[in-house]
Amino acid sequence: MAKIEALGVDVGSTTVKMVAVNDHGEMVWHMLEEADPRAADQVSRFLAEAARRFGSLNGVPLVATGYGRKLVQQAARQVTEISCHAMGIYAELGHGGTLVDIGGQDSKAIRISDSGKVIDFAMNDKCAAGTGRFLENTAGRLRVPLQEMGQDALSSADEVPISSTCTVFAESEVISLIAQGIPVPAILKGLHRSLVKRVAAMISSVGLTAPLMLSGGVVKNPAIRAMLAEETGSAVTLPDHPQLMGAYGAALYALRIAE
Amino acid sequence: MQTAAVRIPGRIENILSWKEQGGGIAAVFPIHYPRELLRAFGYLPVEVWGPPVVESVSSAAHVQPYVCSIVRNGLSFLQSGGLELADILLVPHACDSLQGLGSLLLDFIHPRQPTLTLYLPRGRRESDLSFLAQELHALYRRLAEIHGDSPTEPELMSSIRREEAADASLAQLHRQRSRLPLSDLAFYQLIRSREYLPAERFSQLASEALDQAGPITERGIPLLLSGIVPEPMALLNLIPELGGWVAADDLASCGRRLYPAGTSQDPFLRMAERIIHAPPDPTRGSSIESRHQHLLSLAAESGARGVVFHDVKFCEPELFDLPDLRRQLAESGLPSLLLEVDLNDPLSHQLHTRLQAFLEMIV
Ligand code: SF4
Repeated sequence: MAKIEALGVDVGSTTVKMVAVNDHGEMVWHMLEEADPRAADQVSRFLAEAARRFGSLNGVPLVATGYGRKLVQQAARQVTEISCHAMGIYAELGHGGTLVDIGGQDSKAIRISDSGKVIDFAMNDKCAAGTGRFLENTAGRLRVPLQEMGQDALSSADEVPISSTCTVFAESEVISLIAQGIPVPAILKGLHRSLVKRVAAMISSVGLTAPLMLSGGVVKNPAIRAMLAEETGSAVTLPDHPQLMGAYGAALYALRIAE
Repeated sequence: MQTAAVRIPGRIENILSWKEQGGGIAAVFPIHYPRELLRAFGYLPVEVWGPPVVESVSSAAHVQPYVCSIVRNGLSFLQSGGLELADILLVPHACDSLQGLGSLLLDFIHPRQPTLTLYLPRGRRESDLSFLAQELHALYRRLAEIHGDSPTEPELMSSIRREEAADASLAQLHRQRSRLPLSDLAFYQLIRSREYLPAERFSQLASEALDQAGPITERGIPLLLSGIVPEPMALLNLIPELGGWVAADDLASCGRRLYPAGTSQDPFLRMAERIIHAPPDPTRGSSIESRHQHLLSLAAESGARGVVFHDVKFCEPELFDLPDLRRQLAESGLPSLLLEVDLNDPLSHQLHTRLQAFLEMIV
């Protein structure tokens, strides 16, 4: 059984993730579930699962990050998702650059120096446009499973522009496009473009230092990756577990406490 | 109100006691105006920065939704009777929104109290100085008409000297803040009592606080706070809670009003000099370069590691300069963060995260 030295938990608005690291800072275990409104209970369950696998967690520090970080009473420290994502991606990819994290309900662009320090950041957390929620809402309208949206969008040579950046108005626009008989993949491509343009604007506000690194659940969508590369003119790179970068970074902060 | 160091009289308590002594009250909208001129006529200036958290529905009939909450709230407050104790209203033309408010009051709303306006020049040239001196002269004549009596030149000069003394104490408080036994919140409660206390009373409080100055104490990651007004005041509790400390400020309501003493023996020119030679301010047309240099020197003097721009949503003079100003600061190695607030909203979770992330970044 591997020995764990530190734990990180990312209590996001859509999912909760926990990561354990060994003394070399390598990710040795993780757990991911949809977010439960009773975040404290959910984190306790995650900890119980970690204890079941690795034995007593006594002396294993936990750092919490994410939207619900304050709810994690067991945490030795709370660190923002900005610092944790930067820490996680730098450890995993080994270089600086601009990181874009597109989560379920917010997105952020973080510029990271060659030594792994955050130089600047921008957040979109007041409006669903530019976040995973934008696609989720409209996918619901189009009756397309979320996992297939990206592939469907890429399969279309045509693209209809979506003029509303607001998620609610975009949904009405989608309904009217369906009524006009526009094929679903073309609408999907337009929706992805709309989201990507929002994200690209956020990237330009902090500055793009290649390569563009991506994290967050939404970047599993291939259309988002392809269109971001197209919009920014930069190659994109992804860690192995894009959804876990916040929790991984938190675990690395916890490892500093352990040391 | 009790701070660690001094007892600060509240606004209403102070207004009532001034009125009991037979004085009048001038309700003054932001930002720059001659306190000394109002005092020479027996009016105590009491400033209206919003106030925060008022119902702002009544003003919606008169101002567009994209007008800042300082103006929206100020108008609603007036319409709901919040300024009933005031005898006159003064609206300096700091920005288009305040200029609009002045016109609205004069042309449509017609408040019970006489409404006066004051045009401020957008520059620091000799011509700006003489323009402002003439404006102040016009304001003097208008006050004389309303009051029925007017102060003599020596009376004006003595009023100016009293305000200069209070401003010198204010500057001293700013310089000594790291030595005072005051939290960020208590410090700004003291500083902001200059918005409504008589100058002599403020000078007295300032000297009581300065008497308690001790050795410099480390309080957290030093920040430079810029913007309009430190509202909601909960911000001043949040900053230390997250490990920061306000080491200096460039707030329109505070540090940008450290008016130096004038030199002219002409009272109108002297009052104009004081306003014109105050620290750079976008509402007085200061260039981005002068603001950039001012922020760099404030950061160097105070040790601030970053600038937090805490701005009121839709504040055009502030927000217009920010992209260039922040870029120049970044090029000079001083990171910055922009937080936008509405005076009616509590501090959001998002604001909390941005501020915490910024502190983690500059630590
Ligand atoms: S906050 Fe800005 S826009 Fe509003 S009154 Fe003040 S200077 Fe004018």
